[in-house]
Amino acid sequence: MLEKRRFIVGAVLIAAAVSYLIYAGVRTTSMYYFNLDEFLSSREAHADEDLRVKGWVRHGSVHWDARTNNLAFELAHQDDTDPVPVAYRGVLPDMFAEGREVVVEGRYAAGQLAAHQIMTSCPSKYEPAKTGS
Amino acid sequence: MPELGRLAICLALLFAAYATGVSIVGAIRRRRHLVRSGAHAAYAVFALVVVAVAILLRALLAHDFSLEYVAAYSSSTLPVQYTVAALWGGQKGSLLFWAFMLTLFTTIVQVQNRERNRDLMPWVTATLMTTAMFFLGLLTFVTDPFERLPIAAREGADLNPLLQNYWMTIHPPSLYTGYVSASVPFAFAIAALATGRLGDQWIRSVRRWSLFSWFFLTLGNLFGARWAYEVLGWGGYWAWDPVENAAFMPWLVSTAYLHSVMIQEKKDMLRVWNMVLVLLTFSLTIFGTFLTRSGVISSVHSFTQSGLGPFFIGFLLLVLVVSGGLVAYRFPELRTAATVESFLSREAAFLFNNLVLVGIAFAVFWGTVFPVVSEWVRGVKITVGPPFFNRVNAPLGVALLLLAGIGPAIAWRRASPRNLWRAFATPVGAGLVAAVALLLARVPLGYAHATFALGVFVLGTIAQEFWRGMRARQAMLHESAPRALSRLVGKNRRRYGGYIIHVGVVAVFVGVAASSAFRVEVQQTLAAGQEVAAGKFTLRYEQITKQDDPHMSRLAAVVSVWRDGRQIATLAPEKRFYKKPQQPTTEVAMRPTLTEDLYLVLGSYDEESGLVTLLAYVNPLVSWIWIGGVIMALGTTVAMWPTLAERRAPAYALGAARVPAD
Repeated sequence: MLEKRRFIVGAVLIAAAVSYLIYAGVRTTSMYYFNLDEFLSSREAHADEDLRVKGWVRHGSVHWDARTNNLAFELAHQDDTDPVPVAYRGVLPDMFAEGREVVVEGRYAAGQLAAHQIMTSCPSKYEPAKTGS
Repeated sequence: MPELGRLAICLALLFAAYATGVSIVGAIRRRRHLVRSGAHAAYAVFALVVVAVAILLRALLAHDFSLEYVAAYSSSTLPVQYTVAALWGGQKGSLLFWAFMLTLFTTIVQVQNRERNRDLMPWVTATLMTTAMFFLGLLTFVTDPFERLPIAAREGADLNPLLQNYWMTIHPPSLYTGYVSASVPFAFAIAALATGRLGDQWIRSVRRWSLFSWFFLTLGNLFGARWAYEVLGWGGYWAWDPVENAAFMPWLVSTAYLHSVMIQEKKDMLRVWNMVLVLLTFSLTIFGTFLTRSGVISSVHSFTQSGLGPFFIGFLLLVLVVSGGLVAYRFPELRTAATVESFLSREAAFLFNNLVLVGIAFAVFWGTVFPVVSEWVRGVKITVGPPFFNRVNAPLGVALLLLAGIGPAIAWRRASPRNLWRAFATPVGAGLVAAVALLLARVPLGYAHATFALGVFVLGTIAQEFWRGMRARQAMLHESAPRALSRLVGKNRRRYGGYIIHVGVVAVFVGVAASSAFRVEVQQTLAAGQEVAAGKFTLRYEQITKQDDPHMSRLAAVVSVWRDGRQIATLAPEKRFYKKPQQPTTEVAMRPTLTEDLYLVLGSYDEESGLVTLLAYVNPLVSWIWIGGVIMALGTTVAMWPTLAERRAPAYALGAARVPAD
């Protein structure tokens, strides 16, 4: 009986350790994932906080300097409305292009998103890329 | 022709429904001819699906762009191997491919069990054919691979350039094989629950199938990692993308099962637990397919919503309800009196290993569905990224490695102090020596340090097992050392195959730990002739070269690699600009060695100034991940190989499943 109790204690300890790791992991690493509208309505409240925003690269807004690797563009709705300026320094992702859906990870401050990562969508493995918009 | 393919799928659906129905009726009423008729119908389903696959394949190879699928995923200039791979490159084709694998495995199971498992087989057939009905139903009513375009396209849109890669031809089929073959143990589990034959019979019948499924899940995951590493150009091999997680979770649960089933076979314990693990593995394969196709969780693999999500959720619910209901119904019979006798025993080590594996699976699951859950609960999407998964899984992985060293060496039932000393003195000593040596070599304390030291400990226990087994044979049977060793493995394939797999696992752990902890990353913009240091390497950008052909134009940065004042290599990372789907892609240049990979990416090139931006990664010990994979594959092959007795005995006398062709 003592062995059984010991064993249960071991199992409970493992379960508790896993739960704690998950809890602590979520607390320290989670961030908001907004679509553009959610971001626009709550951006002031989340200034200077890491977050992700999903939107589209506004047509005609991309400025890319291959010498300094500075990228500036505007994140907007699919129809190019409600633009938010984004600044990024780093290598341009292959899939990045005007009109593409992207997820920007970064902080909002002084009216623009300072991105530290830009995630581009695959034009999908499972559905054909729609040409045009 | 394509209309014939559609007809074949519709007929296959009807036959699958028939097979399910008569199998169940035959089982309940004990009508042998009905059961046999169900099995024959299952063969017919396979034949019809083969016809459908052949027709789609022919349409792809003949560039029949009147078919929507062919026009969307191939082109007349696509190389032939990718044209074949386009079969699983798109959603509709991949579902058809799934149905193909499923009915193929059903047929193999039927042939294997012609004279065996008569009581279980009708339920096995019914379960597998119900699953087939789900996929065939999707292909018939929701997403038709033989759909024609209103006007035939003149040219196809082509396969996504990222998929035009060697790994495309083997990664998805491996993963699908692993996913789909998990249906066989699931079907036997359901049959055992339905008939109440809950003993060893079903477990023995699916022993090889579970190993087979695990083998291909392992390969599929590693191929995927390798693909990401070579092609995506971000310097890593695993990003905890939902789709990667989808393939990782069933692997974890399946790994847990392969361990805990040994306790059931030896001690008749954990029947409920094993049953749950098998049911869960299958559910996770369906969940994984759902993740990749529903668009519910955003991922690089699945940004587009396809509308298939609700069907997969429906089927998943059906699976969970039926499985859960059956387990609850049989719960009193499933329980066994045997319990773990001691905390210090192999049973206990295996149990803790199971808890850790399932714990990791749960953490991965939680991190993957977290955005959806948080949206339900709090109305906002909150995501967790790779840092979450790394933080949670690093300590759990280290615990798992520790258990991998303890499990094989500790005694069954109850370890005496003498047994503990005999089993662990040398390996623990070796591990401690390694820990100190690593500190002296300036490896800082941390997960990587722990992984290396524990790796030595695990290898120590395994080496000791081989050594002692070999010495015992030498002493008793007067065999030479090599002969004793090969006989030892040959007579206990599963056990020693398992140890070999563990050696591979240690290699993978070491590779992952080293490359996560000690990776060097440099980004630098350079003019021709300028240099940058990356770890112990010095990189000098020499010049840019350009090439242009009708398919694509290529830009390559020629970089000479120097070390200790000597030039050791010239690498040329490229940017390629495909012309048909207009898209740039990155072509990584690598110098892999056993100690570290130098990994170069051409970040950008400025035409006007001639400046290039290079990304350089020095990834230590990454090669050991792939080497570990090869060792794991070898070990699994040893474990799966039929023993001499099995090969000589007639098939129907055997407990274990076997492919009749071998």
